[in-house]
Amino acid sequence: MDKATYTITFFHPQATQIEVNKGRDLLSAAVAAGVHINSSCGGDGVCGRCKVIIKKGDVQSEPSGRISMLERQKGYVLACQSTVHSDVDVEVPAASRLELDKISEQDLKLLRLKGIYSEASDIDKGKRIIAKDIFAHGPLATKLYLELPAPSLTDTVSDLERLYRAIRKIKDIPIIQTGLTNIKRLGRLFRESNWKVTVLLGKRNGTVEIVSVEPGDTSQRNFGIGLDIGTTTVSGQLVNLNTKEVLATKATYNKQATFGSDVISRIVYAAEGEGLEKLHHAVIDNINAIIEALVQELKINLNDVNAVMCAGNTTMAHLLLRVDPTFIRKEPYVSTANFVPVIRAAEAGIKINPRGLLSCVPGVSTYVGGDITAGVLACGLNRTDKMTMLIDVGTNGEIVLGNQDWLVSCAASAGPAFEGSGVKCGMRATAGAIQRVAISPGGETKVVTIGQAKPKGICGSGYIDCLAELFQKGIIDRNGKFSREKLDARIRMGEEGQEFVLVFKQDADCDYDIVITEADIENLKRSKGAIYAASSILLKKLNLGFSDIEQFYIAGGFGTYLDIDKAVTIGLLPDLQRKKFSFVGNSSLIGSREILLSSEAKKEAEAIAKKMTYLELSVEHAYMDEYVSALFFPHTDLSKFPSVKTK
Amino acid sequence: MSVELLKEKWSNTINSLTIGATKEQGGSRTSIITAGGESTLPYLFSEGEMPHRPVIAMEIFDVEPTDWPPVLKEPFKDVLNNPVEWAKKCVNKYQAQSLCLKLQGAHPDFGNLSADQAAATVKSVLGAVGVPLIILGCGNDEKDAAILPKCCEVAKGENCLFGDATEKNYKTLTAACLADGHNIIAESPIDINIAKQVNILISDMGFDLNKIAINPTIGALGYGMEYAYSIMERARLAALSGDKMLAMPFICFVGQEAWRAKEAKGPQAEHPQWGPEAERGPVWEATTAVSMLVAGADILVMRHPQAVAIVRGTIEKLMEK
Repeated sequence: MDKATYTITFFHPQATQIEVNKGRDLLSAAVAAGVHINSSCGGDGVCGRCKVIIKKGDVQSEPSGRISMLERQKGYVLACQSTVHSDVDVEVPAASRLELDKISEQDLKLLRLKGIYSEASDIDKGKRIIAKDIFAHGPLATKLYLELPAPSLTDTVSDLERLYRAIRKIKDIPIIQTGLTNIKRLGRLFRESNWKVTVLLGKRNGTVEIVSVEPGDTSQRNFGIGLDIGTTTVSGQLVNLNTKEVLATKATYNKQATFGSDVISRIVYAAEGEGLEKLHHAVIDNINAIIEALVQELKINLNDVNAVMCAGNTTMAHLLLRVDPTFIRKEPYVSTANFVPVIRAAEAGIKINPRGLLSCVPGVSTYVGGDITAGVLACGLNRTDKMTMLIDVGTNGEIVLGNQDWLVSCAASAGPAFEGSGVKCGMRATAGAIQRVAISPGGETKVVTIGQAKPKGICGSGYIDCLAELFQKGIIDRNGKFSREKLDARIRMGEEGQEFVLVFKQDADCDYDIVITEADIENLKRSKGAIYAASSILLKKLNLGFSDIEQFYIAGGFGTYLDIDKAVTIGLLPDLQRKKFSFVGNSSLIGSREILLSSEAKKEAEAIAKKMTYLELSVEHAYMDEYVSALFFPHTDLSKFPSVKTK
Repeated sequence: MSVELLKEKWSNTINSLTIGATKEQGGSRTSIITAGGESTLPYLFSEGEMPHRPVIAMEIFDVEPTDWPPVLKEPFKDVLNNPVEWAKKCVNKYQAQSLCLKLQGAHPDFGNLSADQAAATVKSVLGAVGVPLIILGCGNDEKDAAILPKCCEVAKGENCLFGDATEKNYKTLTAACLADGHNIIAESPIDINIAKQVNILISDMGFDLNKIAINPTIGALGYGMEYAYSIMERARLAALSGDKMLAMPFICFVGQEAWRAKEAKGPQAEHPQWGPEAERGPVWEATTAVSMLVAGADILVMRHPQAVAIVRGTIEKLMEK
């Protein structure tokens, strides 16, 4: 007799069990069980990243070209395409595990992945993009310690008026708001605390609110969190709001990755069933985990965290607030809100002081979000007289051009290849990711991994190195096709055409050779082409050329490891004097922190978002032409890359 | 008072490409042709020169074509299954200056002839006529990689024009043409960037830019011809302005495209209002050809003798200064 429910045991490598109904697919069962399995396509069966091994039991799997004959014999199936028809034991191989939690602190210290995971020390001691005193200190939440005069027969003003009077003696705040919750507590609180209280003031949408009133002097305990919510990575920074001191930074992968690797597939997912709910909870879980880890490490009371400032692309901001993002991807591509009012963090599900505030950095358009506004602020693009370009290399590559007089932005859908997705042995930039590659003229290959760990895969900067080396050593032609007819141990025929072996499996931390395939090269070529073409079109629209740009900021997941020369060699970046380029790392997080700490910075961010013009590339006829000419190494117009020489 | 017309001054010249080699040049051709060499946009003689008049090559197949309409087969009906006789008829009866031999029979779907069989055909056509030869593979990359090097080898010294090299398959053909001293056709899908990319890829292998012809891919009258026209015009403007990677003569496969059009081959019985196809077809081909000439075509590959005659006359008139 058929049981109605079955037990699935996931080994990853520890065992996690879950009861499911017959016919449940393994991927959603894993999500329900809290086992994180890679998936770029959100369960459509096309990305092939959720491979698991059936050790025992009966599952029914849709056939997939992503599983090789050899793998099939070993019991591999795609989790999203397999349904359960008995109790089963499932092994989640290392390559399919989405290690969400493990990159936190240890890796951060080890890897110093400036850019994605900046340590506080990096930001403080490293090159500061913002000089210290640009913005006057004026955080989103301030605390005031007040010793109120006790009422008497000659001073009979009410408790609330008394509080306002005391505040106005210190600060010129004409309009103050207070909620009923606070008013109800005032009478007893003032008398029990002997008229010595600390008031928490929050800046809310042009007015000031008495967020809470506490007995005694707690004014020294006032903390805030700056957040950067990326499609791939969520980073948070704990800041002392009184002293502006950065106390710690933590990062984690965005758990939404299980539901699709790019914003579009997540918007699609949000529209299905409880998709929006799931996406919202995923990122809220991320944020709460980061905040909790931060306060624990610094032995801070969660109730003393009073404000959160969050920068993210438009879709991320919608999902954070559980606002339906559906219309973002429908013509004419309009978002629900780019300027989100300050709300209580608890309304979004963020666990800090229950009355603490949540503010979002304003965005420019549907595809240029608050992360870019924050990045522009952090780089000071809006304050410089030099012609400046900022490129945020991500799945949705954003480009901003301008100076103190004007700003123009555009977004290029570059795809996730440089973030290690949609490429055969791609991975995100964590321990074991190949990030530097050198190929000798004889074909000897050397790789350097993050954390000096045994190689597991290739991250963005590794792919850039790899492409540049393969091209310069004549192993691939300008079109990205392997140019040698003769095959050898490293250049060989794989399942998807020719491929180059970077690391053989005996030297790797995975049970396959780490390769770059002709299809990978094609994907990477498209990504770099999209970014270059978008930059180029943006300039052309303004009657400018790359040579007019005086400084060039690059933000995103490459961090300190982006080799500029190699990025120029493959045509990702224009062939300019190398000293014009600087890496700004996670400019979004830095900007978000500045805005948290200064209402002036916040005003400036709003001014940036309002002032920035958005150019929609999908309606630019010349874009396709630029794009195709950029689909070449380094470019079809070789005269644009005079410094790039082969062999 | 007369108005002085503004004249464009170009900084670059289109390469001159020579097909064929006489006995003195190491071949066995009785005539050779040279295409390209323009220093002006087409036929603007006041701005520059067109030292060589556009060339028409008549297209022949190594096996009997299966998709040619009766109107097109009619003039060649006695020779369609014999490439040598077909070649002779084109030269002797229709005064072809050049021939384009398509090795269709090598295609797996059209006979799957071997490399040796294809090479033998090339050899016998070369032996039968004295005009220079353009030689095309069957269009199947794998098969072309097998037959074309062999054909290059047997035609060594004859300075033929071989095609087509695309960004996917260019390596084998480029290597073969390089080894045996032939010219090459670089094909791209109506895309100026890819046209340039294929040229760069071929020249990266050490191939002489002067021995490359661009096949920009065209559409027939009514089938996107304007699109092809503007790509050719843009490429020519870029070339004359100094882009050496686009400064090659154009070869346009007019016959192949025009005779695909329903308006060219559709019988009058089905389309009574269109008039007799015996006139309509050749005129369709000729109109397409003339449009390409105006866009900058240097070599036209054509099929119907009547269309060839019309276009030959048009070239005479266009070249009058």
